[in-house]
Amino acid sequence: MTLHSLPSLESRYRVTGHPQLRVTILDVGLACCALEVGAAITAGLLVPQESIDTESDGFVVSVLLISGTVTDALAPGIIRAWATLEEPRLAVSFGACANTGGPYWDAPTVTKGIDQLIPISVYIPGCPPRPEALVAGLVRLSQPSVVTHSDPSGESR
Amino acid sequence: MIPAEAHGTIALRASACTSCMICVRECPTWCIDLVSHTEQVSEAGARRPKTVNVLDAFRIDFGLCMYCGICVDLCPFDALAWSPEHDHGATTAAGLVQGIKELEMAWPPTQPPTGN
Amino acid sequence: MNSHGRIDVAPADWEQVVSGLQREGFTLFDFITVVDRGSTLEVVARVVNPVARVPTMVWTTLPADAAELASLCSIYLGAAWCEREAAEMFGVVFIGLGDSRPLLLRASLGEPPMRKSSALVARAIRDWPGAAQSTDDGRQGGNPSRRRQLPPGVPEDFLRDEPLVSGTTGDER
Repeated sequence: MTLHSLPSLESRYRVTGHPQLRVTILDVGLACCALEVGAAITAGLLVPQESIDTESDGFVVSVLLISGTVTDALAPGIIRAWATLEEPRLAVSFGACANTGGPYWDAPTVTKGIDQLIPISVYIPGCPPRPEALVAGLVRLSQPSVVTHSDPSGESR
Repeated sequence: MIPAEAHGTIALRASACTSCMICVRECPTWCIDLVSHTEQVSEAGARRPKTVNVLDAFRIDFGLCMYCGICVDLCPFDALAWSPEHDHGATTAAGLVQGIKELEMAWPPTQPPTGN
Repeated sequence: MNSHGRIDVAPADWEQVVSGLQREGFTLFDFITVVDRGSTLEVVARVVNPVARVPTMVWTTLPADAAELASLCSIYLGAAWCEREAAEMFGVVFIGLGDSRPLLLRASLGEPPMRKSSALVARAIRDWPGAAQSTDDGRQGGNPSRRRQLPPGVPEDFLRDEPLVSGTTGDER
């Protein structure tokens, strides 16, 4: 089964301390960084929601969260996951592996930075980053300097 | 609550750095980059001027850094230390590279250096 | 067997010795792995007697350029996985191993990546920041006796005779 054919893997969250943020996260947890995403939820930094209020004011966005090591073999799956995400969508690179390859920067099988595959709006450094760094990264998404990489064709670059 | 001893990021105290390059050479991910030059310093009473390294640039690419702390442990001059600061996200990969100014800002004011 | 539970065997005796251990009660197969010693590869199998709780390691040495060894699949079914991995990562040919398809890597990757002769190209083509040296302030020459510093993990002659890396190599500053 490919990522493309899986039903509704996204989860909806409120971000504690940032009521304007309403995020739908597709977490592609590929390595230890994924545990920190879980830690953010257990610590109450991200609060799971049944549904998202898209009507009232706020920053509503779908987030592709790549938390872990992307290998070249997996790259097509990442591109498909990005394509399935509802607009408006932004991609977050979480941790050293996703950012640059990190500890595996010299490995022949690891993708050196997932920004080669999809447009990244926020890079969060760490190995792994703290759960608080994830929240800081999500907050950064709502800043005006972040460009929404929307694409009318629904295709990623 | 983030504990004060948390390994959030690595901070630099440039005044303690002698440009010895140990951190740069031991870094497993090659994420540290250091530029220095030598200068002659004349000290009162000394027969000849002394050659010292002067630090021009010190950069850590936190995109690559695996936060292993080898540089912190190995620095003979305690010029590097762990800091609980963690909010260093950026909107570009290049934005994850920090220079002397940013690295010094993270220096933990209350925490002693954690090197040996 | 010495006190550390280590047995060294000739490659020709590999299967027979392990088979004997299995009959003696070493019924639990733990792993097979390989150590690259340069011109030779050492293959090691660890088996355990689960009743006596005694482990033992069987070692053999193969020439790196003709690394062939009998498969232990007929003794321990579970050895197949480790042997496939050893074949993929170290290029050891296990005779009698039915399925030797790679587990993880694409065939196009070339040389088995865990062999020391398989250099990490990424390390060779990127300028190593550790090669930088202090520049002088107008004095002549610097220190010409300083050897060029190579990054760890890159063989001295790797890519050196090719014009791939032109211009600065980082240590000329």
